[in-house]
Amino acid sequence: MAVESARLGPASGDERHADYAQAARRRRTLDLGKGIAAYTVLTLFAVIAVGPFLYLLSPSLRHSYDLFTFPPQWLPKSLYLGNFGAVLHQTSYVRWGINTLVFATSVTLLTLAIDTLAGYAFARMHFPGRGILFGLVVATLMIPTAAIVAPLYIIVSHLPSWTHAGVNTYPGMILPMVCSPLGVFMMRQFMSTLPEGLVEAARLDGASELQIFRKVVLPLMKPAVVVLGIFTFMMQWVNFLWPLAITTTDSMKTLTVGIASLQGQFVTNWGLISAAAVMTMGPIIVVFLIFQRWFVQASMAGALKQ
Amino acid sequence: MSAITGETAWDELSLSPEEYRRASARYRQRRSVTGYLFLLPYFLPFLVFLVVPVFWSLWLSFNQGGILDRARFVGFRNWQEIGSDSQLTISIENTAKYVVAAIFLVFTLALFLALILNRYRRGSNVFKLALYVPLLAPAVLVGLIWQFVANYDFGLINLILTTIGVGRVNIFGNGTLALLTIVLAEVWRGLGFWTLYFLASLQNIPEELLDAARVDGARGIQRFRRVTIPLLRPMLLFAIVIAIIANFQVFDTVYVLTQGGPYESTSTMVWFIWERLFQFQQTGQGYAAAVILLGIILFLTALSFWLLGSRRRRRRSALA
Repeated sequence: MAVESARLGPASGDERHADYAQAARRRRTLDLGKGIAAYTVLTLFAVIAVGPFLYLLSPSLRHSYDLFTFPPQWLPKSLYLGNFGAVLHQTSYVRWGINTLVFATSVTLLTLAIDTLAGYAFARMHFPGRGILFGLVVATLMIPTAAIVAPLYIIVSHLPSWTHAGVNTYPGMILPMVCSPLGVFMMRQFMSTLPEGLVEAARLDGASELQIFRKVVLPLMKPAVVVLGIFTFMMQWVNFLWPLAITTTDSMKTLTVGIASLQGQFVTNWGLISAAAVMTMGPIIVVFLIFQRWFVQASMAGALKQ
Repeated sequence: MSAITGETAWDELSLSPEEYRRASARYRQRRSVTGYLFLLPYFLPFLVFLVVPVFWSLWLSFNQGGILDRARFVGFRNWQEIGSDSQLTISIENTAKYVVAAIFLVFTLALFLALILNRYRRGSNVFKLALYVPLLAPAVLVGLIWQFVANYDFGLINLILTTIGVGRVNIFGNGTLALLTIVLAEVWRGLGFWTLYFLASLQNIPEELLDAARVDGARGIQRFRRVTIPLLRPMLLFAIVIAIIANFQVFDTVYVLTQGGPYESTSTMVWFIWERLFQFQQTGQGYAAAVILLGIILFLTALSFWLLGSRRRRRRSALA
């Protein structure tokens, strides 16, 4: 209304000033209201995101039987630290952690080695059948482990003995996970951004292809390699279906499989489970807070697979 | 060195057409061999652990057994059995419901949060970090954490309900609520990722376009509907297909939260395959279901690449 009358031209300048001031004030109040609403919504969702992790602390700090009182309690009446000791001494938690590190690190290192080579070949080398082979990689980009878990299991249990692979072995867990097409796809995209002249110049200087790859290409690709490395590690340490299928003994389980196995068929020690969850998430969150920039980049680069 | 000697030296060095052809063929051959050698370390595991298993999967769907014993050829029996198996139909239905609900919820919320974060940038880093934290947890832990949210005796939801004086709810005893819990667990985990994804897309929208719309008198909601959404649409379509592929494989949360229960109301496709293969020893039906899953995922992969391609085609025609 104020704006309307201003356009028509009110009688005096003073009146027009007053109208403008009023409109501006109303505008400011509206903006302030919107701002408060926006930050309230953001805070609410931040609390929802982090809240369950904090609530997890409460059951981890009390006896399991204290969880089943009525009415249920928000906080433990007295602090009980025994769950953490029980996780360390009564379960194979430490062993599971070591298995997870061995599994995820090996898959990551092997993936980086073979995916950078293949990505470079697809991006910068010339040979017949390049298009068809890359098409094959792209076609298998999203094949879920669940759809091929049975043949994988059969293949792994029949691999020749020099591979030392089989059910309940590290090679058996690791090898089938190292051929992620997504890594090759990502590396090819990254390698395509290399300036063509650079490789040519090294070639004219008489460098062999392997020398070019190691001395020219890899140093330039360092950020991409780090991103792919973090991405692969993150994908593998949360991996559940494959380690679940290929391990049957307690001492070969990874953290995800081991913690899931703490859930008993009839009785479950929930204090123990929450303590194990706290012990697992704590270090990850700390590492994340230190290297957050890399984490976010890695997960965005893997947007194809979420 | 004089020009004349230089010319003669060049003459002696130069190759006859025949020699030239042979040399270049040799060079190209060596170049190809190097290329194949670079591919070899990847293609060995790729063939053994991905390409062969895909075809083996197809073959196994006409067999029974094979995991603990020898496989026996049974012809089309698995396919006949699975055709009349109502649990598979239920599992596909459950997966579809789950996928639709999870994607609808997470995309709506993420777009909403991304719009807010795009407009109010002060302090937004803290909120982005907080939203990202659930993504760090493996889906198995997300499932266990949601036990602590939805459990009958000590779950957060029931705790809140008792505190405000409403009675407790047995969430895992009710099929719809149990499936909803699995949906919410995924929404909770994925929200940070999709918010950051949409935020990045929003920041790609040229500011001038929104300013031009503002000058033309478009209000907030109009600008969103007429400028932002059309510009986001290609990215949104691709993201939806990718999210369908990812969510179609839901398993970890089902495994720790409900084991497919109550009465198969949370049995999903991958859960069905897992149960038949490794728990019931009804391998034949598991094999057939795995082939169905493979077909669905391959179809969706082709669709996503077609969408990516059409986006690129459109951009090229816009530039021309």
